[in-house]
Amino acid sequence: MGATIKIPEPASPFPGLGVETEQGLLQWICAVDHKLIGIMYLVMSLLFFVIGGALALLIRVQLAVPLNHFLPPETFNQFFTMHGTTMIFFVAMPAIFGFSVYFVPLMIGANEMAFPRLNAFGFWMTLFGGLLLYFSFLAGGAPDAGWFNYAPLNEKNYSFHKGIDYFSMGLLISGIGSVATSINIIVTVLHYRIPGMKLNQLPLFVWMVFVNSFLLLAAFPSLNAALALLLLDRELNAHFFNTAAGGSALLWQHLFWIFGHPEVYIVILPAFGMLSEVFQVFSRKPIFGYAFVAASSVAIALLAFGVWAHHMFAVGMGNVANSFFSAASMLIGIPTGVKIFNWLGTIHGGKIRFTTSMMFAIAFLIEFTIGGVTGIAFAIFPIDWQLTDTYYVVAHLHYVFIGGTISGLLAGLFYWFPKITGRLIDERAGKWFFWLFTIGFNFTFFVQHILGMIGLPRRVYTYPNLPWYGTLNFVSTAGAMLMGVSGLVLVYIIWRYGRSGKPAGTDPWNAYTLEWATRTSPPPLKNFEELPAARGYRAWWEMKQSGLDGGAAVSQKEIEP
Amino acid sequence: MRRSENTSMIHLVIYTEAFFFLCLIMSFIYMAYNAGFAPRELSRLDIRSAGVYTVVLIASSFTLHFAEMGYSRGKPAALKAWLIVTIVLGAVFLAGQGTEYGRLIGDNITMNGSVFGASFYTLTGFHGLHVVIGLIILLIVLILAFLGDSRSAIRTIAPYWHFVDVVWLFVFTVVYVLPQFSSI
Amino acid sequence: MSICFPLPQPFHIVLLQAVEDPASIQAERINHLFNHFNIVAALVLLLVIVLAAWFSIRYRRRHGDNSEGSPKSGNRTVEIMMIGVPTLVLAWFFYEAFTVGNAVMPSSNPTRPPDIVITGHQFWWEADYPGSHVVAANVVHLPVGKELLMELRSADVVHDWWVPQLGNKMDLVPGKKNYLWLTINKPGDYIGACSEFCGEQHAWMRIHVVAQSPEDFSRWLDSNAVDASPPKDDLARAGEMLFQTRSCANCHRVAGTPAAGVAGPDLTHVGSRPTLLTGMLSTNERNLADWIDHPQEIKHGAYMPEFLFAKDSVLALAHYLEQLK
Ligand code: HEA
Ligand code: HEA
Ligand code: HEC
Ligand code: CUA
Ligand SMILES: [Cu+2]
Repeated sequence: MGATIKIPEPASPFPGLGVETEQGLLQWICAVDHKLIGIMYLVMSLLFFVIGGALALLIRVQLAVPLNHFLPPETFNQFFTMHGTTMIFFVAMPAIFGFSVYFVPLMIGANEMAFPRLNAFGFWMTLFGGLLLYFSFLAGGAPDAGWFNYAPLNEKNYSFHKGIDYFSMGLLISGIGSVATSINIIVTVLHYRIPGMKLNQLPLFVWMVFVNSFLLLAAFPSLNAALALLLLDRELNAHFFNTAAGGSALLWQHLFWIFGHPEVYIVILPAFGMLSEVFQVFSRKPIFGYAFVAASSVAIALLAFGVWAHHMFAVGMGNVANSFFSAASMLIGIPTGVKIFNWLGTIHGGKIRFTTSMMFAIAFLIEFTIGGVTGIAFAIFPIDWQLTDTYYVVAHLHYVFIGGTISGLLAGLFYWFPKITGRLIDERAGKWFFWLFTIGFNFTFFVQHILGMIGLPRRVYTYPNLPWYGTLNFVSTAGAMLMGVSGLVLVYIIWRYGRSGKPAGTDPWNAYTLEWATRTSPPPLKNFEELPAARGYRAWWEMKQSGLDGGAAVSQKEIEP
Repeated sequence: MRRSENTSMIHLVIYTEAFFFLCLIMSFIYMAYNAGFAPRELSRLDIRSAGVYTVVLIASSFTLHFAEMGYSRGKPAALKAWLIVTIVLGAVFLAGQGTEYGRLIGDNITMNGSVFGASFYTLTGFHGLHVVIGLIILLIVLILAFLGDSRSAIRTIAPYWHFVDVVWLFVFTVVYVLPQFSSI
Repeated sequence: MSICFPLPQPFHIVLLQAVEDPASIQAERINHLFNHFNIVAALVLLLVIVLAAWFSIRYRRRHGDNSEGSPKSGNRTVEIMMIGVPTLVLAWFFYEAFTVGNAVMPSSNPTRPPDIVITGHQFWWEADYPGSHVVAANVVHLPVGKELLMELRSADVVHDWWVPQLGNKMDLVPGKKNYLWLTINKPGDYIGACSEFCGEQHAWMRIHVVAQSPEDFSRWLDSNAVDASPPKDDLARAGEMLFQTRSCANCHRVAGTPAAGVAGPDLTHVGSRPTLLTGMLSTNERNLADWIDHPQEIKHGAYMPEFLFAKDSVLALAHYLEQLK
């Protein structure tokens, strides 16, 4: 390395948290800047991750040994319901929105979202939805019917305290926020791109968030309808799901899963987008098969609406329906496989830099494939008849959520951390976190496949001492504890290096996309003084190649992983 | 001409709302087949008056279109006049629905009384709610027009109003017309 | 049975006990299919692991090398392969799913009457044997070697019948009748569990199936078709009195006595069942007394209320019930 270049201290990404400005905290409450809102989403997500993770650890403690009495059953049932709901709606979703509203405008060379105030509205709705959900703990009891809240167990005569009302209201409100933000993202991408950047040249993250927003807009209405009907049942004594009075148990399942299945792709597609950026930059290569990676997202989004009843193979639909949903579900494996292999193609022939971000991306490839093929096991419906509602499902969903979504989000977090905070983390701390998290994760959830196969149903607060039940559950709990430790490390990393890490400069990774073209890190209030003069999905790289980067490349610094 | 952000936005609102009504309509049909509606209750629906109000609501789509034309031709008087007509038609529709509700409740068909009641009030109620929202926005546009505001708010709201009208056609078909032909 | 998991010996024993040790024709078909799947899944996973590891090592950046990677960004043949091969594999599995599915579940709307009707309750099972007068609870006896048709219903919320070694699950959905075909081919005791979350005590809604030879089965059926045996001593008689006069009879049936409640499990032969409360406690006087004394402490959320009995009333009740063999 040559002489080190002095990089100025970055501005704080968290202005006003101290008392030094007059506006103080008010600045955050009134914020309409997409970057501030993005950060608020991310902080919210982290907060709920700690809460949801703590619930998970309590669940794991209760399950560590057979016939345990650590948590009473009603508490356990509330905890797993809250854990699942929190993780999906108040961790994964806000994290995705946080990265989206922060980086979509930057990556398309825009200075703001199309509707800044709507953007703030979306965030606050999401936050209030989450607070409302948690308020239920104080109001007589949290929801206790599982995250998919099956009828008629969700009715007043079976769950009489107010938990499920809060669940419904909370999800309804945050759902409205999600819809608002998705509309905002689509309009931003449609209208605010730099001139010349065609829709088929978008950076892949932007493209996938864009496609995903359409998916979300089509999926959430179904949840909202289901929740509205449920609230009418519970508050006005209507009879949609009350089987004792002529209602239907299966209508709820259909409405929920017409939302629920697309929802799981809603939380993975943006992660796919982040990974697509990470693989490129840290392999020093353009994406392999851009068109295929982009088009397969559309295929996944469309297919997502034809598979909902694969969660209902055991309700007795008949084999014609079963076969249809089985075929549709298997088909999704094809575009997803296309993505996996194209990412492998991307790292092939590269100059791979093993930053923390890239480590998560590589681990993702393997972990997500495990989760994906177990998904195919369920899609083969006779196998699902054996495995549905067992710990095999718990293993599948955590492999796709943690090995997929969370790993993708973490890869994205470590990739963009220098841009958001203007500072670098210590890679050694990052590596510690990576290994603790990944080892803990695989210990926790791999054994759960076996538990499912030997007959342990999910959502049980305890289990009899059958052969291997105790041992495997104990291993799982031990792994979860490791994850808990890794969670503390993560919080430490963000706290410590977000405030006093080494200054990163504007473009520490020598990256390809426009968010790295801003004059400072974190970007100034007005992202771009002049329109970036490039168009493709590697716009910033093109600018650097042709010397149009205004000398920014000078501040680049080599990061030794 | 390039579409404005607002137009894109309202199109997306319509896109997502369309899925919402699709779900409600499918739920109505599902309940009809699975739980079964009592023929006594179905026969209490008054297709004739509902038909009249349907025509009224559809007419309001045309009058709104005239208002919009008035706006784009730069004739504020036409804009205001047709807007007023539209709002009146919308209000008449709501009043019609109100009387229908009143009559049915008088017949003891209520939200908590039966599966049919719940399905009927939910589907038509959510539609009515959208009409109310539309009316409020149209009123705002009207007030703005009287204040001499010349922004294109009407352009933005018009597709929404047409959408609400089209949804009613589906609701009307499913709730009032189809039961005439089948035994649900 | 073919070996599906290259796992160390102890693991294999585990697997042998459940999904890997099928005891019915249906479970065997599914198990076979699952083995095929596991082999292919392992290969797919292996491919991804090998490629990821190989590329990571081979193409890692050397120290001080700041050049770009190769600029290639696609290859048509490779793309066709990555679409084509999985499509073929999945088409094969679809074919297998279809055939196995139809073999295991020939029709969801059978014409013949069921051999047994299972009704799910929060949090216990009722087993009716049509044509005999037997209504059993929680411990389900079934004959080996016969193609059984089970009808599944629910009295309240959605439950799910699953005995891993006997094959597929089936939900018990309120307002709907579901069916399950079952041809058990090995006598034995099989453990299962309710697998759809159904409320506070979902965890203790376990299933115990006793598969017997046809002779043993019909012997069991006959002995359970008779009315409850009358109390043998004074204490038991006192217990019976209490049972009939306190609220017990409102919820429980004891055939041959006026007690005909249906909200709780049939107790006509409760003393002959190995366990109580779907496996929570073994059946003996002490446990019965504990349960009657403080049901909500033992199985919180079960739909049997706490009573205020004197100690000796509880003992009398337990003594009486224990004799109902
Ligand atoms: C991020 C979320 C996510 C993702 C991406 C997926 C992906 C998939 N899921 Fe999963 N799923 C969940 C989240 C997710 N799932 C959750 C949360 C539940 C449980 C809900 C609950 O009950 O609480 C669930 C449950 C669930 C069920 C119901 C199980 C049950 O309850 O009985 C089914 C059934 O078909 C299923 C199928 C699939 C399939 C086929 C995929 C496919 O998309 C996977 C495709 C990927 C691959 C196949 C791997 C890569 C491909 C290759 C390397 C190519 C070669 C591969 C082959 C030839 C096989 N999932
Ligand atoms: C994005 C989604 C997501 C994520 C990230 C997780 C993360 C985890 N989950 Fe979750 N889980 C779900 C989604 C998710 N889960 C869903 C949808 C269900 C189904 C719910 C239902 O059935 O309704 C479920 C159900 C579920 C179950 C099954 C419950 C049951 O069926 O009875 C279990 C059991 O082991 C479990 C465990 C864990 C663990 C150990 C983690 C760990 O990875 C968590 C690690 C994170 C942390 C630990 C946070 C960091 C903590 C700190 C920094 C502070 C440290 C705090 C203390 C020490 C108190 N989960
Ligand atoms: C309100 C209804 C109700 C009343 C009254 C009632 N029970 Fe129960 N009982 C139940 C239910 C429901 C169960 C099943 C609990 C479970 O397993 O979840 C049960 C279970 C039992 C069992 C265990 C049966 C088995 O095989 O697992 C026994 C024994 C029993 N009751 C005895 C009694 C006695 C004795 C009384 C009177 C003192 C009584 N019950 C009163 C509802 C009732
Ligand atoms: Cu019954 Cu779970
Ligand atoms: Cu799904």
